[in-house]
Amino acid sequence: MESSEGKQFFGGEMPSIIAAAHELKSPLVLARQLALEARDTVDLQPEVEQLLTNIVHTNDRALRLATDLTRTSRLNETIVDLEPVNVRQLCEDVVQELSPLFSAHGKQLAVKRQRAAPLVVAHRDLLRRVLLNFSDNALHYANEQSKVMLSIKEQRDKKLVRIAVRDFGPRVPARMWHTLEEAMTRPESIHARPQSSGLGLYIARTFSESMHGTIGAIRHKDGSTFYVDIPASEQLSLL
Amino acid sequence: MTRVLIIEDDTWLGESYARSLTADGFQAEHVPNPIDAMASIDARLPDVIVLDVLLTATTAFTLLHELQSYGDTGAIPVVLCTNLTDTISPETVAPYGVVRILNKADITPEQLRSAVRGALL
Repeated sequence: MESSEGKQFFGGEMPSIIAAAHELKSPLVLARQLALEARDTVDLQPEVEQLLTNIVHTNDRALRLATDLTRTSRLNETIVDLEPVNVRQLCEDVVQELSPLFSAHGKQLAVKRQRAAPLVVAHRDLLRRVLLNFSDNALHYANEQSKVMLSIKEQRDKKLVRIAVRDFGPRVPARMWHTLEEAMTRPESIHARPQSSGLGLYIARTFSESMHGTIGAIRHKDGSTFYVDIPASEQLSLL
Repeated sequence: MTRVLIIEDDTWLGESYARSLTADGFQAEHVPNPIDAMASIDARLPDVIVLDVLLTATTAFTLLHELQSYGDTGAIPVVLCTNLTDTISPETVAPYGVVRILNKADITPEQLRSAVRGALL
């Protein structure tokens, strides 16, 4: 078709990534629903039930990414409401949400024991999504049977709270790590670990910055730590 | 038997919802668009409507406006089932008879059934 409408309609501008992510949600939602329905079937063999459960978990991960990506576009248009958030409770919620997924992969997710339960000033759902994001990433790279740990550390001098996700897995090659460190501060594209597009880090950084926080990473000989630094709430200090 | 009308333009998804509700003892019918929905409602009023927000060539609000323009259809409780939960506030849609908003991305069949049961209270 040679009309201008035809050229615009066929092979015009590339749809935005955000629009594509939104469109991707529909088939993911459908696949998830069908797997859930199939899993509810009576007299299912345990192996088949586990396969269907794995399909649901996998779809959940993909849906989290797609939902987070569409949400990043809306952050530019809205003011993010911030409020005091109990970080320890949030971490425990994240562990509860992801434990079935980790179990299915033969791994564990846990919160490091500590007495403190600091409050941060954040958007609860966005901060939760950052931690889900880091934990999903850790799941992929952690060794079999290993435990991914969430930890919370107050940095009183900086009035920040650091929430970290530590995984135990292969060491990231030095060159790749250097690229990741540079990219975390660069406004354009982010590339992370091998076989990763950096989409998760882009989302985590966008969400964190909307809450006046920052993300970072630490390389270990036996894995990595990804963290988010969020402003501490001074609410309790007023009492 | 309680009658549930499901309006969802993804046929497989709508039929899956219908099967879930039928298994729980509801009389569930799926239609893919608001025109078929109004035809079904005209034939027999449902007790609950489960409604997708983004429908092919239109949105749920076209149908909700239509339903609210009549006394009998305006009283039918509506459960919205959508991917857009973070952009729709319950207060905005309550005047349209919406009693619950479900996130398609993370609901389970049991949650759908529970939401429909709750809408009947």
